[in-house]
Amino acid sequence: MELKRLITSLCSLMSVSGHEQYSYEAVSSLVGKYFDEIKSDGVGNILLVRRCGKENAAKIMIDTHFDEIGMLVTKIHEGGFLSVTSVGGLDLSILQATDVVIYGRETITGVIASTPPHLKKDKSAKKLTELSELLIDTGYEKEELEKIVSVGTPVGFSPVYTELLGDRMCGKSFDNKACAAAAIYALSKIDRANLAADVYLLLSCHEETLPTGGVAAGAFAVEPDYAMVIDVNLARVPDTPRHETVDFDAGVSISISAVTDKRLTRAVEQLCREKKIKYTRVAAPSSTGTNTPALNLTGRGVPTVDIGLPLKSMHTYNEVLCIGDVLELSALVREFVCSEKIREGFAI
Amino acid sequence: MTKYTDIELLRQLCLLFGPSGCEDNVADFIREQISDTCDEIYTDRLGSLIAYIGSGKSDRQRLMISAHMDEVGFMINEICDDGYLKFETLGGIDPSVLCGKNVTLGDEVNKIKGVIASKAIHHKKRDERLNITPVSDMYIDIGLSSREDVLKYLDIGAYGTFDSEFIRFGKDGRKIKSKALDDRLGCAVMIEAMRALYPERDSLPMDIYFCFTVREEIGISGAQVAANTIKPDFAIVLETTAVADIAGVADSAKVAIQGEGGAISLMDRSTIYDRELVEFALDVAKKNSVKAQIKKYVSGGNDASHIHKSGVGVRTLALSAPTRYLHSPACVVDAEDYYSILSLVDAMLREWKFAD
Repeated sequence: MELKRLITSLCSLMSVSGHEQYSYEAVSSLVGKYFDEIKSDGVGNILLVRRCGKENAAKIMIDTHFDEIGMLVTKIHEGGFLSVTSVGGLDLSILQATDVVIYGRETITGVIASTPPHLKKDKSAKKLTELSELLIDTGYEKEELEKIVSVGTPVGFSPVYTELLGDRMCGKSFDNKACAAAAIYALSKIDRANLAADVYLLLSCHEETLPTGGVAAGAFAVEPDYAMVIDVNLARVPDTPRHETVDFDAGVSISISAVTDKRLTRAVEQLCREKKIKYTRVAAPSSTGTNTPALNLTGRGVPTVDIGLPLKSMHTYNEVLCIGDVLELSALVREFVCSEKIREGFAI
Repeated sequence: MTKYTDIELLRQLCLLFGPSGCEDNVADFIREQISDTCDEIYTDRLGSLIAYIGSGKSDRQRLMISAHMDEVGFMINEICDDGYLKFETLGGIDPSVLCGKNVTLGDEVNKIKGVIASKAIHHKKRDERLNITPVSDMYIDIGLSSREDVLKYLDIGAYGTFDSEFIRFGKDGRKIKSKALDDRLGCAVMIEAMRALYPERDSLPMDIYFCFTVREEIGISGAQVAANTIKPDFAIVLETTAVADIAGVADSAKVAIQGEGGAISLMDRSTIYDRELVEFALDVAKKNSVKAQIKKYVSGGNDASHIHKSGVGVRTLALSAPTRYLHSPACVVDAEDYYSILSLVDAMLREWKFAD
């Protein structure tokens, strides 16, 4: 499948943290054909397996969390309005006048209410309307709405994708399904014979909401020899500190951190240089803000490298990514799973 | 007319690019739509499109019907070295609805896509997370990373509008969500009225000037000049009005209720409307079993402000679609109200009783 279409297809799916299984069938029919096996587990992870065909093959895990930020319904009001609470780190500043999708017994559309300037009582007010006071307008009467929606129904942003100049794209949930798309894109194009080991692509759940995510259970079941965690990384934009951001349109980022494996990280940097894959280093001394520490501590411990895809406007419905960066990431995944040298160094 | 399906004209109008001062695309589209349903069309010196149905006899009464073509939008006022664009709003837009939104930038010929952004939540301090981001802290990202590259596509002064899908939602798709319903809805009503009336123009007791005006949203109203040149005896302004008929708002503050028909103004911040015309509109609605309601709150203002005070004074009526979330990329109207307004305007023109 063409890369942009793979990205938008995966990112359009509903996978609000805690509801990842909602899209299991869709994932299966979309990309199952590229893998030898697809399965889900008791937590909400989806595991895609690609085998190399060799006996006693080593096991590589690629982790890309698959959940997304979103909302849950907390109350149904007269006139067909809904109150919601946040799932994950929702940016309050982007919510008003936004289209949302409500995943009830039917999937329906809603609009987050805003107050027009004409009716704003305090025009100099500085505070944003709090989430608990925002309403979603569904266009239904309360009685009809109660047949479709209940407290706890997940709500996501509308999947609208726009191509910008410079081969950029904007839309929802590139965090982190664009990384999943990059990995699937790479794995779908590799001949079995070229794989250095069996590859377990973990579309893990709960990253946006729980400190350890679903990755620990997913990795525990597989016991990988070594692993790569891929997650989006904050790209530099105006008014952000240089040392806390990564360059956009400069390839992938590689985290240097106490929670990653130093030898594996160096081997991956070496691989990038050999294969001319663009990357920048980012110092993340004690925390990567990703699944890496949880995966690293699973079972007997898993040597892990932490890779980032630069992303602007993270946690909005118009996250901006650079297709060039996704292609570099995809190339790195390909070289990583085909590297005999890395397998020799890390297979137990 | 099939209910809820005959919205295509409104959809096409809403999706056009027409911020205040750059209404050309809207005017061109409307001219095409109405070329066979009027006796004459011209564009006045400010850019308003004026179409005329009538006898051409100078002793007949003149009725001006007006809706504005422009929508709230943006103007680019700085191109940064790293390719980001700074902007100002064109017309009244609350900064709370800007962050994260898709926009179209350019002019009547060239357009590109962009997105309004500020730094990610991860880089916002606590108070920045809770406060409205000022427009000065936002920027537009069009995908380019140098000023030089941006200048190949646009320059300071480029116009912008929201880029938002036109969708139907709610029970049976009863609600319409779009940008620019203010006031392409009024434009759509005029076009439909012209189509219905033109075949029967000989029976009209007055001459009608349909005015698709420019620059309402910035208050430097093209309608004023249109009224100055037409010198109408009467005017009907077709508009949208902000309503707050949502959960938690006291009935007295709701302005009007969606689904109860067009809202007829008695008074707003800049106009006191002609009482006889108000009574006439309400009578016609009642007689024809068309829903209509009185706008119950003195707020806002529109082109009537300029029209009713033009020349020797013009007796003026305003009929507005109750619209939620006005001046945002997600304005919402009830399709039933659109149909009620279409029916009421058609009936009022057929039953016009003020001509000699």
